[in-house]
Amino acid sequence: MKKSRDIHYDDSGSVLNPLKSLAFFARKPVTEPLEPRPAAERYRGFHLNDWEKCVGCSTCQKVCDNAAITMVKVPSVKDDPVKGIRNLRPAIDYGRCCWCALCVDLCPTGSLSLSREYVHTCYDEQLDSYFILPDPNGMHQAGFAQGWNKTDENDLVDHQRQPMAEKTPQLRQDNFDEIVDGFTPQQALLEASRCVQCGMCHDACPTHMHAPEYIRAIWQGDVEEAVKQIYRTNPFAHTCGRVCTHRCETACSLGHRGQPIAIRWLKRYAVDALGDERVREIVSQDKVASSSGRKVAIIGAGPAGLTAAFDLAKMGHQVTVYEGLSQPGGMPRYGIPYYRLPADRLDADIDVIQSMGVEIVCNTWIGKDITLEQLHQDNDAVLLSLGLQLGRSTRIPGAGHKHVHKAVSLLRKIAHGEDFDVPKAAVIIGGGNVAMDIARSLARLQRRQFGQVDVTVTAMESFEHFLADPEEVKEAQEEGVVILQSRGPRECVMQDDKLTGLRSWGVLSIFDDKGRFAPHFDEDDETVHVCEMVVEAIGQMTDVELLGEALTEQLEWQRGRLQVDDHCRTAVDWLWAAGDMVKGPDVVHAVADGHLVANSMQAYFETLPKLVSRGD
Amino acid sequence: MIQQAEGFAQAAEKLANMQSLEDILHTASSFEQTARDFYQSMIPRVSKRIRWLVEELAEEEQRHYDLLQSLINREDLKQQVKSKIQTPESDGRFTDGLHMPVMPEKPDDQEIMLYALGREQAAMEQYRALAKNTESGDIHELFAFLANEETQHKAELEKLYYEIVHSGGV
Repeated sequence: MKKSRDIHYDDSGSVLNPLKSLAFFARKPVTEPLEPRPAAERYRGFHLNDWEKCVGCSTCQKVCDNAAITMVKVPSVKDDPVKGIRNLRPAIDYGRCCWCALCVDLCPTGSLSLSREYVHTCYDEQLDSYFILPDPNGMHQAGFAQGWNKTDENDLVDHQRQPMAEKTPQLRQDNFDEIVDGFTPQQALLEASRCVQCGMCHDACPTHMHAPEYIRAIWQGDVEEAVKQIYRTNPFAHTCGRVCTHRCETACSLGHRGQPIAIRWLKRYAVDALGDERVREIVSQDKVASSSGRKVAIIGAGPAGLTAAFDLAKMGHQVTVYEGLSQPGGMPRYGIPYYRLPADRLDADIDVIQSMGVEIVCNTWIGKDITLEQLHQDNDAVLLSLGLQLGRSTRIPGAGHKHVHKAVSLLRKIAHGEDFDVPKAAVIIGGGNVAMDIARSLARLQRRQFGQVDVTVTAMESFEHFLADPEEVKEAQEEGVVILQSRGPRECVMQDDKLTGLRSWGVLSIFDDKGRFAPHFDEDDETVHVCEMVVEAIGQMTDVELLGEALTEQLEWQRGRLQVDDHCRTAVDWLWAAGDMVKGPDVVHAVADGHLVANSMQAYFETLPKLVSRGD
Repeated sequence: MIQQAEGFAQAAEKLANMQSLEDILHTASSFEQTARDFYQSMIPRVSKRIRWLVEELAEEEQRHYDLLQSLINREDLKQQVKSKIQTPESDGRFTDGLHMPVMPEKPDDQEIMLYALGREQAAMEQYRALAKNTESGDIHELFAFLANEETQHKAELEKLYYEIVHSGGV
């Protein structure tokens, strides 16, 4: 047995050792060709990116642990934040990339993959060529096939949202109890864990809510932090957590291959989970301690007016909100049925706003009880946030009959709890969410009173172009409402001055070749829908009588709407206008407007002579 | 005899309904002029909020008026404007349009648009009927062109009406 020799630590070897390399002179040289050998089918080579699929969400950049990905602006590609598309594309630094393929595995759209190409050489002066903007053809435009790509096995995106528990039609159809139950803590955590934090929702939201931040806080189990993030941009947290038009979800990058994050429900979860008292405590931390001495009057206690009031009060200004009706809230209170937005949740939002020192004066109509001029005299600035409180009429023959109502007026009566004769059979004209709201409300009242439902919605649009949200249509049908598409109202049918029905014609087409609303009717397709009540839910407008003729002349108008600049300022220096009356109906747009107004008024106050104290 | 008398009566009635192209164009021109003046008179009466609507309508009627005037004065139509044309039954609606409509003191946008739509409908029907009553040729082409103009304007007004009134709610 050969005895091994210990290696001495200072053994420097033989002086002849370098000569051993001479042995290689006799061997045949080996040179690897630059042409690569075929890579494995799932090889992780250079990146490929399908620009048609890529929406520039930057999830790849965020997930890259080596910071090898930089989003680069490409002006030639589409940029549409509302639809969740950015004109950014990922560029890869191969000095940093470790080919882990997390970017591929987490890509929401599936646009990224890795190719089977793995060779790239260059001269020193071409070192920049290791920083590339991948496209579908690969690093050298050689058309190498995909290697590692998105499959069901490696897809890290969770495409299924957590189910939302709702009351069944049987449990909800005769009452105004809230339909949606809300997430449990476990569901909220799981739903939040799906978010890739791309921020598309933030870009698309009219008020740019910090949704990625509050979703992350929910995932971390920190609802206080979530509520703080929510209140950075939205004091109507309960309201928007229930009835927001959730453009954020339309833009969510997960929606391209699966279901978008339930951002609206997560917001609702956070504010519901924390409790109203604690929400008020958290929000009050942002209020400045001193008073500015400036006074602001706001006409209309809807989301635009109250958001502006909330911000202005936080800034230290004295704010009074005037509301003509008996309770604040605007259209969310008087236009949205309680089964979608319970009154106590709206009250909770308004309590937070009032806790900041905002005074709300109800049952006071400006123009009748107080003149607008008086408000101007008593305040440094005035905001009009009047909403769209008047319903439009079709003005078809018979539309003036006492049993032909406008949806917004009838919804207001229902919200007020006012008595009216519930019809045994009603026909609704219109196909938007307001039409669904009044149809479903009347159906509930009918079921309570008569034990059965006879409500028919006649909409000019076909189902594929319906204005109402699909879930509204579905739920209305589940509750017994009959929804007829492509029907145009022609006249209210009378017998001895008694309303007996609505005559409608079929609609052949609804849009012209340029996409403008231009219905064409089929006179031979005529139907009489028997009913005791017709409700018009076709559109709304603002009552601006309070302005008076002189001020109306002073102001600028844009095709019937009060014209405001990007900061909601009118042509009159002391007057702002915001919300539905200038931007059209949408709660979250009204909230965004409220912020604009507050910031604009603050800037305006800074241009005024400094106050010593009011009245001096 | 009875048949002959009926024939004379029909011929007389037909002759009574004959007008020269010049007369028709002048009547149409007056129709547009009256409408233009009517809308212009409304401009100071209506709220500034909806003034844009009557201003646009007045501009459109002025455009139609200018078009008809240019047709009346066209050299290549000078010979034909004297020719007699069978006026259609719908003429009543057309000439009715020369009268001032009944409008509220402070009409709203919807009332103004409904009125304007009625006028466009009348004009469109009239030109179509005139085109139908004329043989192929320049005059027929002229009425067909005018009918098309009115049809297009009415279609635009209808779109505007639906955009304003039928906004669909929330």
